Amino acid sequence: MITDKFWPAMKMAALYLLLCIVTFAVCFPLIWALSTSLKPKSEIFATPPTLIPHSTTFENYEALLSGRQQYYQSGGAGQATGPTPAQFFTRWFVNSVIVTLGSTLISIVVSTLAAYSLTRFRYWGRSAIPYFSLLGYMVPSIIFVFPLFLMMVRLELTDNLLSLVFGYVCITLPFCMWLMWAFMRSIPIEIEEAALIDGASRYQVFANVVLPTALPGIIAASIFSMIVSWNDYLFGRVFINSLDNLTLTVGVMLFFEGTHVDWGLLMAASVLMTVPMAILFMALQRHLVAGFGAGAVKG
Amino acid sequence: MDVKLQRINKSFGNVSILKDVDLVFPSRKFVTLLGPSGCGKTTLLRMIAGLEDISAGSIHFGDREVNKLAPRDRNIAMVFQSYALYPQMTVRRNLGYGLRVRKTPEAEIDGAVVRVARILEIDHLLDRKPAQLSGGQRQRVALGRAMVRKPDIFLMDEPLSNLDAKLRVTMRGELRRFHLDLNATTVYVTHDQLEAMTMSDLIAVMHKGVVQQFGTPEEVYGRPANLFVAGFIGSPPMNFLEGTIDSGRFRIGEAALPLPPLADGIAHGLDAVIGVRPQDLNLVASAGPNALAGRVSLVELLGSEKLVEVMVSDRTRISVQVRAESQVGLGENVHVGFDAQSVHVFDKRTEQSLLAEATKA
Repeated sequence: MITDKFWPAMKMAALYLLLCIVTFAVCFPLIWALSTSLKPKSEIFATPPTLIPHSTTFENYEALLSGRQQYYQSGGAGQATGPTPAQFFTRWFVNSVIVTLGSTLISIVVSTLAAYSLTRFRYWGRSAIPYFSLLGYMVPSIIFVFPLFLMMVRLELTDNLLSLVFGYVCITLPFCMWLMWAFMRSIPIEIEEAALIDGASRYQVFANVVLPTALPGIIAASIFSMIVSWNDYLFGRVFINSLDNLTLTVGVMLFFEGTHVDWGLLMAASVLMTVPMAILFMALQRHLVAGFGAGAVKG
Repeated sequence: MDVKLQRINKSFGNVSILKDVDLVFPSRKFVTLLGPSGCGKTTLLRMIAGLEDISAGSIHFGDREVNKLAPRDRNIAMVFQSYALYPQMTVRRNLGYGLRVRKTPEAEIDGAVVRVARILEIDHLLDRKPAQLSGGQRQRVALGRAMVRKPDIFLMDEPLSNLDAKLRVTMRGELRRFHLDLNATTVYVTHDQLEAMTMSDLIAVMHKGVVQQFGTPEEVYGRPANLFVAGFIGSPPMNFLEGTIDSGRFRIGEAALPLPPLADGIAHGLDAVIGVRPQDLNLVASAGPNALAGRVSLVELLGSEKLVEVMVSDRTRISVQVRAESQVGLGENVHVGFDAQSVHVFDKRTEQSLLAEATKA
């Protein structure tokens, strides 16, 4: 017998089914990469393809992290003559971490201070600056990659990780500043005034009251900046030309160049590239949604 | 500690917010700055706090000029209308912040925080964050944060306006009690004349950046200095009638109403406005020299009283407050009786009280 609750329940079931399908579609490339990276070579091209490996192996990860390109060794005949991408994997990983953290640190420090100044002090043009800065972010980076490259040549910074740090600051700072500006505007000035009256100095007000209140904004801006820097390909491709200084995104492409594509290795590299960002997101998303600012003033 | 304001001016560009404010708040008094929004009362309070620059004039706390002192060097505490609690700190940290930045030993901070929390009955909330508190609780935390430091001067910017009506009445009494316990000079800003009347030792009524009258609640209610103060203080508001002075009486149309003895010296023929509070009028049975005839156009029951609106001419209506038992019907012809002692007389042109002039003379 169909009760009153049948159709609402069916509706919920259909909704959850749809959500499951969408989630699976979104996650599929990642699942596939993970699955391939864990398969032995013999299983990678097996038909029919398997989503869950029959036997799992960590040899791809081992090869990447120890810098050994395994198919040359197992093949015997084609011993590697030059450097191989796997040898540089850890190096590129460290490079990526350095430029990502470096550019994010600069972007966050500058944008937080700039946003504080824009919202708390009165000077000419302070209301227009945030919008112009947002406009700057809307220009595709391909337009200013070459002028920037020429500047780096002048500064003798080409093929130097610093050039990437500055390049990423150029593309992340405008948006970070706009984001922080929007965030700082929502912090009521009364809580700063209350701290001033309580006896805090300007610096103490900023450190004890403004920064903790702005933390969710800082985290959001940091995540944005890290994702942009970590995932960038264009600047890494243009600014860097030695194998030693490549970042992960450009470096991993080298797995394709050659007569043989080692899919297991490539997929393991992709998974390792994704992991830091995934961990970052999981660790920080709590701060993004926390009910910040609530209760400071009449709620 | 007394607070002296001398010829204080404030302007933003060409807009003048405060004009020549001269006030002395005696030590340990509860002083209220009262006025409608935009009258400059909050700006004045912020100047006392050091949050707003002074365009001209000087502020003294006791003998010390504080014009150039930063807020933190003034030993003041302030309660904001929005409470302004630190959102990421617990109630305990909120209360102790002022002591902590002054490098007070932790044990002492703890003691002070707990003591104040007990007085305000928020000791069970010490580990909560502001977001987890109700409006009334936040209000108490804001008050506690101000009390914990033993300030010389206590500033409050409409601290009750975000509370519901019932809580507001309770808090009014509590604030008054805290003031007596704290022994500090309190400067309180409000637009609510009832709050000002019930809590203050002294009231400064402000309008358009100018202090209209500074005196005790009895003075501003009983002897308003001008038309603005007369109309702003008191509920229901005072009735105003326009007419001329006619040999010691007030002529309005055919009628000539009595004036208090203080008005004897007022020049004959002067255009004047008289003000009478609804409570000071009554409905009388028959016409007489001290009464105006009219017709009842509205009757409102206020509870223990009735407010009767009487049309005495085509354009003039007078509110009369009578006992709730009084039988007054809509459209009834009545006579409104005036008592000479309770009539206030103002110059129509200058809007100043003519009785105050007479008193001075």
